[in-house]
Amino acid sequence: MRFRHLLYIPLLCGLLWGQDAALKDTFLQAKALWATQGDREGATVRFDTVVAALGPRAAGLEPEWTQVLCESYNWLAVLDDRSAQNKARAQVRLQALMDLNPDFELDRTLTSQRLSALFDRLKGEKYALIKLTYLPEGGRLVVDGRPSASLARKYLAFGTHKLSYTRPGHASSEIVLELGPHDVKAADFKLTRTASTITLYVQPSDVEILLDGQSLGYAIGKAGPEAAAVAIPLGLRPEELSSAFVIPELAPGKHQLELRAPCFRARVLELPADLASPAADHTLEPIRMEPSRGTLSVISAWPGGELLLSGQSRGPLPLTNLPVCSGSYDLLVRFPAGGFSQRIVVEDGKSISLEARPKPRLAFVGLEGGEFTGRSRFLNQLQSLGDRLQSVAYLPARPDEPPTDALARLKASKEAELLLIARPVPGQVIHQVELVVATLDGEEEHLFVKPLEQDPLGSLAARLNAVPSLQQPDLGISVLDLPGEPGPWVLAATEPALKAGLQVGRPILQVQGKPLATVLELRQLVASAKESVSLSQEGTTFPVPIQMEALEIQLGSPELCYPAVLAHLRLLYAGAKGDEANLIKLNLALALMQFRKFDKAIELLRDARLSTVRGVSQGTLDYHMGRCFLQLGTSYQSEAGQAFRQALKYPQSTLLGPDGPLVAPLARQALEDLK
Amino acid sequence: MHGLSPWFRRPAALLCVLPVLAQAPAPDSGLAERLYRSGERAYASKAYKEALDTWGQLLQSSPRSEFAPRVLLRLAQHQVDIERKPEAAMPYLDRLRGEYIKSPEAADGLLLRGILLARQARRPAELKDAVADFNRVLDLFPDAATCAEARLQLGRAWRDQGQWGRALQQFIDAFRLHAGSTVVAPAMFEAASTLDLMGDLPGCLRMLQRLRIETPQAPEAKEAAWHMAALVKHRLQKPPLRNTGAWPAGRVKWLKTPTLLALAQDGELLIFQNDLDRVFRLHGEDLVPQGPAAPGTRALLAGPTGTLWMLSKNGLVREDAPAVLPLGTLGAISGAALDRWGNLWVADAKTPALTLFTPEGGSRTMASPTASALASLPTGGVVISADADRKLLFLDADGQPRIVVPYGKDLPAPFRTVTALSTDGVGHIAALVDGGEFGEGVVIYGPDGTVLRHATFKALGISGRITSLVMDRSGGLILCDRRNDLLIRLN
Repeated sequence: MRFRHLLYIPLLCGLLWGQDAALKDTFLQAKALWATQGDREGATVRFDTVVAALGPRAAGLEPEWTQVLCESYNWLAVLDDRSAQNKARAQVRLQALMDLNPDFELDRTLTSQRLSALFDRLKGEKYALIKLTYLPEGGRLVVDGRPSASLARKYLAFGTHKLSYTRPGHASSEIVLELGPHDVKAADFKLTRTASTITLYVQPSDVEILLDGQSLGYAIGKAGPEAAAVAIPLGLRPEELSSAFVIPELAPGKHQLELRAPCFRARVLELPADLASPAADHTLEPIRMEPSRGTLSVISAWPGGELLLSGQSRGPLPLTNLPVCSGSYDLLVRFPAGGFSQRIVVEDGKSISLEARPKPRLAFVGLEGGEFTGRSRFLNQLQSLGDRLQSVAYLPARPDEPPTDALARLKASKEAELLLIARPVPGQVIHQVELVVATLDGEEEHLFVKPLEQDPLGSLAARLNAVPSLQQPDLGISVLDLPGEPGPWVLAATEPALKAGLQVGRPILQVQGKPLATVLELRQLVASAKESVSLSQEGTTFPVPIQMEALEIQLGSPELCYPAVLAHLRLLYAGAKGDEANLIKLNLALALMQFRKFDKAIELLRDARLSTVRGVSQGTLDYHMGRCFLQLGTSYQSEAGQAFRQALKYPQSTLLGPDGPLVAPLARQALEDLK
Repeated sequence: MHGLSPWFRRPAALLCVLPVLAQAPAPDSGLAERLYRSGERAYASKAYKEALDTWGQLLQSSPRSEFAPRVLLRLAQHQVDIERKPEAAMPYLDRLRGEYIKSPEAADGLLLRGILLARQARRPAELKDAVADFNRVLDLFPDAATCAEARLQLGRAWRDQGQWGRALQQFIDAFRLHAGSTVVAPAMFEAASTLDLMGDLPGCLRMLQRLRIETPQAPEAKEAAWHMAALVKHRLQKPPLRNTGAWPAGRVKWLKTPTLLALAQDGELLIFQNDLDRVFRLHGEDLVPQGPAAPGTRALLAGPTGTLWMLSKNGLVREDAPAVLPLGTLGAISGAALDRWGNLWVADAKTPALTLFTPEGGSRTMASPTASALASLPTGGVVISADADRKLLFLDADGQPRIVVPYGKDLPAPFRTVTALSTDGVGHIAALVDGGEFGEGVVIYGPDGTVLRHATFKALGISGRITSLVMDRSGGLILCDRRNDLLIRLN
């Protein structure tokens, strides 16, 4: 809604801009009509148009337009004065002109002496003349608290007026005048210098100026012709510089001047002590800021991602070498489901490459009613739970939105994959709160916490952060820790490992040139290696290739939050293909089995096909399908039998992982039980 | 965890509760809760009588309250854990099963009932009721925490009935579906043992290795370590047996006529010294006397709770029993073994049968050839040596021979007699043999009766009088030499 309103602003500005240009044109036409063609009526009509447009907003006009209005009144007074019908209106025009700007000087070449005299007489009835002098010039005059042009002559209404004159680096001066009819008074301002001033011009504008670490403000706008003297020697046009930024009071001593702007390298200038004393006005050479940018590349295997940097959309993924100003950003990739967020720091000249993988979004629905001690502390902890979560994107509850409304909103909008609701457990005194984590499909887990304990959400945060792996690097060997053996003893090996030179029945003595004691050490080394690992057995060293082996997720683990696991896997599946996608399907089915949703698990497993036949592979998938059919009751016994017979075709298929128990004996027993 | 979404649960729950609210008056529930808490307080301070009385009052006054099934479970657990009277727990558990099957406590009650029934069983067929209770837990309470233990127990029950495939399914489900629970380590250990029984030695070893990595602190991880050592040494590496000399540390003449050896449950060696008429435990390098004096001991066993059992013609001397238990007419005991059911199998050199003593004190005779030695098997049965038939017989729990191995099979020459048998708990059997062309020596058999390793004493350079042997946990054999008063280790 607000955004729509914002759209009107440039439209309105455009309209006004167009209107003002037309008005100026009308004003110039009016002048030309009379001057070149003597068309008084045409000129009058046009000047009236200008007055009608500017008159109602006279108080807020820019000086340029005030001048246009004043001149229009002047012309109209002259035109009306020459028209027999409108002659009486001439005085009205002059009165309006005087009220608008008593300091306006009539165009004496245009205006008759009689009219000029009338104007002077009218002015003398209301205003008194003040003659002003300024030393030094270039300061700022304020009359009765309002800025005013520093003119040598000024008309002010009768009465008491306070005039003050200020200039950076000087003590200000104030004069109070009592004005009456026929008064002509003088006001002489002579300021005393108190400190040095520094005037800066910066390219570009919108640069923050800091002096000795303290921000003084921003150099903004465009410089006027007065900057030509400093701009032109540098090959710049004055308008390429910011408006003059004046540091008004430079204390004695050395100073450090720092200029900062987004997308530019910060500049630091040392100001020597002689700039501060003796006190004088100094104008520095214009300061040019050097651009500072890095590049950002964001890709994703998941479709439909849109990149936002600190809230600003930068387009759909993939994005390669996107120029980005240096600085830190909240990077967010919005996917059709799930989101990816990360804080990044872009450095000058550096490239950042990211692969965005959507994380499930967990929306905190709210804490239901029920008063208990520590409620507000507990609620604050829930609201800030997102600070502790790395694996899910957290959406805190909206203030003042009841949980039921929030739930309805989230279910309708589907802006989160996971919901968290906190519900006090009823009792005479409430000592427990039930935390429910649920998917939108209704798979849910309950966790009971004591709100007064030190960290009631620690366990939930740990579980939400735990994401199970679906693959592990493996050498294709089975090794054992045997007492008396100098290293892991090889029980069995796959063809690639045997071809590489590995001998079964012998210990592995070294990995990557380092002595090795246990199977666990070997696993850790393999996990940190890349394509292959060099193994040593009995003095021979040979490389063994690493292959990724499929894993099943753990079930019933208190360390995992299964609704979150399901949400993770669903998002993973959206960006996966081939065997990877089918492995995710298998694990999704396992997670659904955890919730006893065997029918849904079958739906997933039915179409999944793994090309592998060893470890967690096609036989594993068939076996689980058979188990799911068994859970559906006796109606599906034939389908279960079929699935188990299929599983038997893959004698090397295992459960859990590559070294897990074989599926075949389990499938064989299941078939036996079906007979 | 499952069922209705929490967003709909409240109205649904209210609908379910309304009839109950209409029936059950609130004050009754309040009284029941107070009685239950009062009983809990008394129980915590070990005022058991007060606690049991209070809970009994609850059962009388508020049998329909939600605390009634809790009380029945607590009473049953008290009988098992404190009173040590499992039979007294059964009425409570029966009532819990019969009247409160829908309560959450029924899951624990059924599990406990199944465990007690399994403990009472003395033969595979008697496990039927226990199996039924374990299955009820899984069927009626699929989301209960007790399912993990129920699967483990069900697996054990299937295994004890010889249903290894079903047992394996349950053991694997127990650790696969309940990651992080306390049953993971025992279930993996049992699964490994079952895989070995099913002939999948690599699968067994992989499972043991997985157990050691995933639950390194569990007691089963230690067991797994020596099981792996023994399995690999005897079945895969099979190095020729080598005499490593007097053991430990070359000690000679340090014993007084050692005649019998056994391995305690913690792996320490038990030695019966005939001249001293008692058993000593080798603790580190020290000999520590254990149990009462038992002159004429002919068989030595480590009992189920780590106690010593010594058999002689006078009867059975148990470390934990005050009196000698008579063994009937058995006067020439040649061997004894405890099976997994708690039955004591005794072989007598002069009796062509085996005598079985049940834990309850009963006995029965089982038809068998005269056994010269006897050892228990992890399958639940025993192995005996029948010198008259020159065969080793692998008997099941019912005394039926499952495997028959003629003396000398797979050996370069046959032997004639077996002096002693020993098993290592992994299924290997060591036989101390004599006579025939083979002569005096040792043979190590696999669980299926195949010869794994063998050696004659002549080849090993042993010339003493060896009367007993034991398989240690590193894949070695320890022999006792009564003539030279020392122990010898073969590796």
